Amino acid sequence: MSAKAQAFVNFYAAIGTLEKFVELDPQAKEIAKSYNLTIRFDVGGGPDGLLIFKDGTVQAIPYDGRRVDIHLICPTPEKFNDVVDGKAMPLPVKGLFKTLKFMGSKTAPFSVLTDRMGALMRQKEFKDQAEKDLSTKLKFYAMVAGLAQVANHDPIAQYAMKRIVDGEISIEILGECAATLIKKDGQLTCVRQPSQKGRAFMQFTTLEIAAGVIDGKLDAMSCISDGSLITKGHMLMLDNVNKILNILPKYLS
Amino acid sequence: MTYVYPKNVETMKRAAKVIPCGVYGHLGPGEGCMIPSSAYPFFVSRAKGSEMWDVDGNHFIDYMCGYGPNVTGYCDEDVDRAALEQIKLGNCTTLPSHIMVDFAELLTSTVHKDWAFFAKNGGDVTSFAVMVSRYYTGKKKIIFVNNYYHGVAPWTQKPDTPGTLIDDCKHALYVDFNDVEGLKKVIAENKDDIACFISTPYMHGNFIDNVLPAEGYWQAVRKLCTENNIVLIVDDIRTGFRLSLEGSDTYFGFEADLICFCKALANGYNVSALCGKEFLRGAVSAIPYTGSYWMSAVPFAAGIANINKLKANNACEHFEKMGTRLNNGVMKTAKELGVDLRISGAPALFYWRINDELGNFLLHQEWIAECVKRGVFLTNHHNHFINLSLTPALVDKTIEICSEAMQVMVNNHPELYK
Repeated sequence: MSAKAQAFVNFYAAIGTLEKFVELDPQAKEIAKSYNLTIRFDVGGGPDGLLIFKDGTVQAIPYDGRRVDIHLICPTPEKFNDVVDGKAMPLPVKGLFKTLKFMGSKTAPFSVLTDRMGALMRQKEFKDQAEKDLSTKLKFYAMVAGLAQVANHDPIAQYAMKRIVDGEISIEILGECAATLIKKDGQLTCVRQPSQKGRAFMQFTTLEIAAGVIDGKLDAMSCISDGSLITKGHMLMLDNVNKILNILPKYLS
Repeated sequence: MTYVYPKNVETMKRAAKVIPCGVYGHLGPGEGCMIPSSAYPFFVSRAKGSEMWDVDGNHFIDYMCGYGPNVTGYCDEDVDRAALEQIKLGNCTTLPSHIMVDFAELLTSTVHKDWAFFAKNGGDVTSFAVMVSRYYTGKKKIIFVNNYYHGVAPWTQKPDTPGTLIDDCKHALYVDFNDVEGLKKVIAENKDDIACFISTPYMHGNFIDNVLPAEGYWQAVRKLCTENNIVLIVDDIRTGFRLSLEGSDTYFGFEADLICFCKALANGYNVSALCGKEFLRGAVSAIPYTGSYWMSAVPFAAGIANINKLKANNACEHFEKMGTRLNNGVMKTAKELGVDLRISGAPALFYWRINDELGNFLLHQEWIAECVKRGVFLTNHHNHFINLSLTPALVDKTIEICSEAMQVMVNNHPELYK
């Protein structure tokens, strides 16, 4: 397992799923609304990304040179992974007080958001169907974002990623949520939006099926056989995505 | 009326409980190539000639031919009679039946090689061919042609394949088909370290238009292999006995050092063969390589009857003629409907693809599904196969069904087809 790939997954797939969490969960949105902040996570040998809180939305993007409110440094991917696991703290080189207020304790807003989102994605028992559905949707978005990061940074997954031809791969839970993987310039990128020009399509027919496959309780091949997981289009693209999917769980567990 | 498959689905549900994926591998829907899976049957009830009936009683003209082995026709009376007669005499016996020698003599004289080594599956003999080349040359690297398929053993895979180690693939080199300059470069960069070049006679990879060898390509490859002490292996498992009964190397005007046969060797009876030139006989003898059923007599008897029947009926001419008739008929409809149909590969192993702007296969997959639901069994990803039992009447019926299916696809897309 690559610490670098893990760091990219942690930033863009784990923390990055805040984008959808604040969109889908009213409580999370309320918290996010109170903060307009741009935070730079600057990881040596790993992701150098921005987490942007603006008017109740969240975005995780690569650092683009803009002015930031908080600049956090981690010297190595391993250190950043420890930060995400709650075992270490990053070094704030800009915005110390904002850092302490926003993410300096368990009750700070960033910690509340990430802890609640993480718990939702991990939990097995739910108070109602809505909570269960939210959990599935968050796991779906984390999976697709994680796919792109593992593809780009895991040394074995890179073999499969390189064989994916250029174009869009649409991944959906029909009628519920959709994301797009875009292969361009030798990289795979995740956009948490429906595909406009899909070349390959992976469609979970229900939230239940998506949850089962993502949690490893349902075998994807069997779901393809019984039609509950629809695959179509440029199947060589999906064949390689499946190879990356086989590697992904060790980074998301 | 299009087909429905309640018993197929019921059987698949039973299968999924006791067999991984229900039907694993290339014959099942789990690999995602039956698109949508609801258009396809999963289990056959019986088959005869070029036709099969599924467990719901739906009838199909079958152009996959078991992915190749059906070459004289399902339940061919001559081949089956030979097999049944051999069953009465013994099959898997302590000593091999003398008919193994008859089969080896027939095969080597047919494909112009000096010896034959029998196994069961295509992968048995492609793996053995690589072992032989490594032992003979004392070198380790393998040159593959991109989009290749030579079985499922770890050496044929990429490091990202589940169950394969990065070490399994570390001696693999890759070139493009028809790229002589690329091959020269790879040889120069790995001088004195390349054991073999392995390739199908032409590029018939999945989901791609098939590519025939360019003029002089194989002759150039042959020369480079000879000059650099590289064993030239032809994987004729898919194309063997469909382009020429003499081997596809003969068909394309060159001589392979080793050639691998399987699918069409015995009309579905399980036998594969590695055939080769004299200078490799000693290497083959030295390598311990065998299996419990590799010398079973029934497939040998079937193989003898099969090859003799193919010869007696000028089989390859028939394949070419039927494939061309089918291609022409379907292309005529495509032109009339304004559909951009691309036909590639040899007529005996034709591949069809409807070209579309986004390159996403959706129109093609829709058309193929409509064909299947009306009784022509095709796939969207793989070349097809013609067999000896296919008649002009069945071909014409196929054209009629495929044309109707294409019209349905066109009607579904008024935004594309005015």
